[in-house]
Amino acid sequence: MTQDAVRQQSDPQRAEQEPTDLQVDTSAHTDETPGGGAQLADSGRTRRLLVRLLQVAYPHERFPAGPYERTAAAIVDAARADAADGRAITRGLAGLDRAAGGDFLALDDAAAETLLRDRADEYFFRRIRSTAVVALYDSADVWELLGYEGPSFDRGGYLHRGFDDLDWLPGARVDEYAGEPRVELVESEEAAR
Amino acid sequence: MTTAEVARYGAPIERDEPVVVIIGSGAGGGTLAYELTRQGATCVVLEAGPYLTADDYVNDEWEAFGQMAWLDMRTTSGSWRVARDFPNLPAWVVKAVGGSTTHWSGATPRFMAHEFTARTTYGQVDGASLLDWPITLEELAPYYDRAEQAMGSTHRHGRPALPANNNYTVLANGAEKIGYRYYATGPYATNATPYDGRPASIQDGFNFQGDKSGAKWSTLVREIPRALETGHLDLRPDCQAVRITTDAAGKVDAVEYLDAAGALQRQAARVVCVAGNSIETPRLLLMSASGQHPDGLANSSGQVGRNYMRHLTGSAYARFERPVRMHRGETMAGIVADEARHDTSRGFAGGFYLETLSLGPAFLASFLEPGGWGREFTTWMDSYDHIAGMWIVGEDMPQPGNRITLNTDVQDQHGLPVPNVHFDDHPNDVAMRSYAYDAADQLYGAVGALAVHHTPPYPSTHNLGTCRMSADPADGVVDRWGRAHDVPNLFVSDGSVMTTGAAANPTLTIVALAIRQAEHLLAEMRQGTL
Repeated sequence: MTQDAVRQQSDPQRAEQEPTDLQVDTSAHTDETPGGGAQLADSGRTRRLLVRLLQVAYPHERFPAGPYERTAAAIVDAARADAADGRAITRGLAGLDRAAGGDFLALDDAAAETLLRDRADEYFFRRIRSTAVVALYDSADVWELLGYEGPSFDRGGYLHRGFDDLDWLPGARVDEYAGEPRVELVESEEAAR
Repeated sequence: MTTAEVARYGAPIERDEPVVVIIGSGAGGGTLAYELTRQGATCVVLEAGPYLTADDYVNDEWEAFGQMAWLDMRTTSGSWRVARDFPNLPAWVVKAVGGSTTHWSGATPRFMAHEFTARTTYGQVDGASLLDWPITLEELAPYYDRAEQAMGSTHRHGRPALPANNNYTVLANGAEKIGYRYYATGPYATNATPYDGRPASIQDGFNFQGDKSGAKWSTLVREIPRALETGHLDLRPDCQAVRITTDAAGKVDAVEYLDAAGALQRQAARVVCVAGNSIETPRLLLMSASGQHPDGLANSSGQVGRNYMRHLTGSAYARFERPVRMHRGETMAGIVADEARHDTSRGFAGGFYLETLSLGPAFLASFLEPGGWGREFTTWMDSYDHIAGMWIVGEDMPQPGNRITLNTDVQDQHGLPVPNVHFDDHPNDVAMRSYAYDAADQLYGAVGALAVHHTPPYPSTHNLGTCRMSADPADGVVDRWGRAHDVPNLFVSDGSVMTTGAAANPTLTIVALAIRQAEHLLAEMRQGTL
């Protein structure tokens, strides 16, 4: 390869993966997703639909509305960053309303979940999940609710903060077994072919 | 260059000076750089990623991932679930100085004698391209000793064991109850007590995020700084190798690379050692095709990129009535070796280890059941602090069709063809994984698990075998020293050389092979044959 060729080609398309993109293929992203349609409108209605969808898809009685609203915002941001995704999500949400007889928000949990189950493999819902699974759980408010303690190095690790405080099982041996050595190879007739 | 720059990057070496050029600074490349420079050989290390150190690292899973992981575009194909779940992330490896040793957990079991003779021991396995290694455990044993001492493996050479953390206490109790005996908190290359100038573990977790304390061995904290101190290393971070060139005699003579500014540079080479991990290494050889090497450099056998292995790589998570808090403490300081044996009465060839594993909620949500949602999924997330976890690492079968190729339809940020990773599970892999999940059910069931979830393999952390070592040049890419069969001064110095994958975590073996290769290179250079 010549130097010119490298320079010419170093105009990046999508150079890197974002964590919210990991579960969808972005290797050949273009705006040419079939179906066309409108961009995702960042309206109150869109937000309410997304929050409802997320609460049905990721039900946590302990979570207040905040984490779901934050996640809905992340989905709107992701959709605005990629026109094809925006159109797919717009169509997907409209499809949920249609299937619900006009208003997805009016369905009870079971009925709403059934509609989502029917669409589990559709791109719009996979794209939403790819973003949501990162946005919803990658935040200190949710960590605290789940019993995760976040960064530890600045607090001296867990050496004096319970790394070994499990008390419902007996203490376990930490050294290697001192008895007969481990058998590594069990000879069988078959193996010697 | 200022004194500070020399301390950080080493002594500058002229680009037209033919030196040993090492591509990659991880377990293989970093070790090789130290072993060569401490004996006075001059080396340039080209590292594609940035120079991150302890202060840069963050105790945050996704932020650290964005900082450290190799995120350049890649594509996938084949029937493995990763192609669907993480289509552009076949592997979870590091792009930074120190390579994937900066995010590895630290388990250091050795390979077993019979694993070096997999073809002879396992016999003909349909669909598998098994081959015996051209070296034996006996030959590698002294280098294993040196590697364990360098890395400070616990339970070895008088090094004490790490204490039991909560996740280990669950694993070890379950293991004992179902009759396993060969469990311990190591061997594990994180200090239980201060060693080699590095502190003891403070049980901070975050092994995958770079280790801010320095208790864990990596080439970033040991081999790279020591190599820089010799005055014989020029470390060039943010330099992506794009082609290895050859002279009229067929020997390699230079490496072309893109520097941090994106400019194409050329470093003259006396010897080239490729250690870019098992996806980038074959990619670079394939991108180095020329008139002399039309199918890629060192690829007259057609084996470059083939026999890609990724280990068994499943995980099991169990939830309990009472708290576990698996996130507290060392991530993988717990190893059960009972199932590592080869014993075909279990219905498969080769063996596997069970090792503790913990993820924070951010990663657990993405990897527990990729794409998962609904009440079943959130019940697991709600149980976060009541969950224990284990990783299953075992030998997978090499297959010629599991391979790295250049995908010329998709370009990376430099305009270069991205690597495509094709993988299909072998029936032996499926049988072993199924057996291992069952073992996990029994182990956790014996200590009262309410449920056990079988997490499918996620992006590969163990990437092996794409430039395999072989006695016969027709069967592989490199010889018993890692030297390309086709090119006398071209070496491969990472896990790509593994003829078969064995059951154990590969880093210790990569380091041992690199120490051995350095000795060979030094002898050849002294004799004037390199």
